[in-house]
Amino acid sequence: MRILYALALIAGLAALITDHLTSPSSARAVSPEDFAGACAPCGAPCPSTQKK
Amino acid sequence: MSTATLETPAVAATPRLDWPFLIAAVLATAVLVTLVVLDGRPASAALIVLGFALGVAFLKAEFSFTAAWRRFLVCGEAGGLLAALLLIAVAATVIVPVAALVPGFGGAIAPIGPSLVIGAFVFGIGMQFANGCGSGTLYTAGGGSGRMLIALALFIVGSVIGSLHLPAFLALGGIDPILASTYFGPWGGLAATLASIALAALMIAGVARARGASFRPRPTLIVGAVAIGLISIGVFLAGHHPWSVTFGFTVWGAKIAALLGFDFSHAEFWQWAGPKRALGESILSDTSSLTDLGMIFGAMAAAAAAKPFARGAWPPARSLIAAAIGGLLMGWGARIGFGCNIGAFVGGVASGSLHGWVWFAAALGGCAIGVRLRPAFGLSRD
Repeated sequence: MRILYALALIAGLAALITDHLTSPSSARAVSPEDFAGACAPCGAPCPSTQKK
Repeated sequence: MSTATLETPAVAATPRLDWPFLIAAVLATAVLVTLVVLDGRPASAALIVLGFALGVAFLKAEFSFTAAWRRFLVCGEAGGLLAALLLIAVAATVIVPVAALVPGFGGAIAPIGPSLVIGAFVFGIGMQFANGCGSGTLYTAGGGSGRMLIALALFIVGSVIGSLHLPAFLALGGIDPILASTYFGPWGGLAATLASIALAALMIAGVARARGASFRPRPTLIVGAVAIGLISIGVFLAGHHPWSVTFGFTVWGAKIAALLGFDFSHAEFWQWAGPKRALGESILSDTSSLTDLGMIFGAMAAAAAAKPFARGAWPPARSLIAAAIGGLLMGWGARIGFGCNIGAFVGGVASGSLHGWVWFAAALGGCAIGVRLRPAFGLSRD
């Protein structure tokens, strides 16, 4: 189990660093609720604004 | 050679500190903090550090929503459930007024409808199979449980599948979020929120008394609840929204799926502004990912500081299957039901949003089913 953890830690950290260095970053960390029209923590729209 | 020497077993010196994993956890946290500080984002660094503190606090207090809910359902014991309500009350004292009064801050809200109820119910079943919720999965996986590492992997898969199904569930209908502060103002909303928590606590304690069970939380749980409540206030102030866990899992899974060639350009969920931006940007730009990662490393550091890390044997296959199914159900349910115990229940109720209580009731119903099904996987009912 320790070896699995060590491998997961190394692979995960490498993936995170690669993703961070190859992707754009916001000026500050955001959550989907920061965007206009978001009605839930995942950014889903409100029922009243959903397209009929 | 004396008899005493012969009879004394040769005890191998077991180190209390597991240096390799302790150093790895602290170093990994330092790397993430450095990356966001180099980007000029001190608030992001704060979220990682606060997540780390949450991992330590959860592990040290052995704070478990899943076990607390199960004990309440099976034998009426309410100490864990009341400790969770204390945590929420602590967080609410800041979240409700600040979200209502300070521009740029907002509470955890969600529509109330079939999607919320179905998602929370399925999540509740998954909680009992996996033996951990969103935060529980994070801190136990980080703390060295291989079983929960499997639950986490399937949680991520389930949440991506849920993201593809959510628009269809939203189309079933529902009503817009109902916030206490909208009706009663910032301070009246706080009073109404605290009153709803007190009422729930009285009802839960009443059930415990009627069943002849204890409703007093352990002292470590009370300390843990206050500490986690205070840290979650810190997360709110740094991230401008209440602490949430599962959106990060969805982003991680979608990024891996996209890497494997999956095209999300036609998936409605991923065209909404927030998810679309999260998928395109660095994982370290997403608030929930920052606290999630900090929490994993915090739990790892706390576990490695106390005993040899991840030395336990693998549980039986049936238990691993339960963890996998539980993780999948929780991931799907969290996306359909707008979060987990943290994002929907703790965050929702602490924001004065009615959806938090609806989520709690539906998830508790799912837990009741999950508890009954646990023996099929060789897991105990209590």
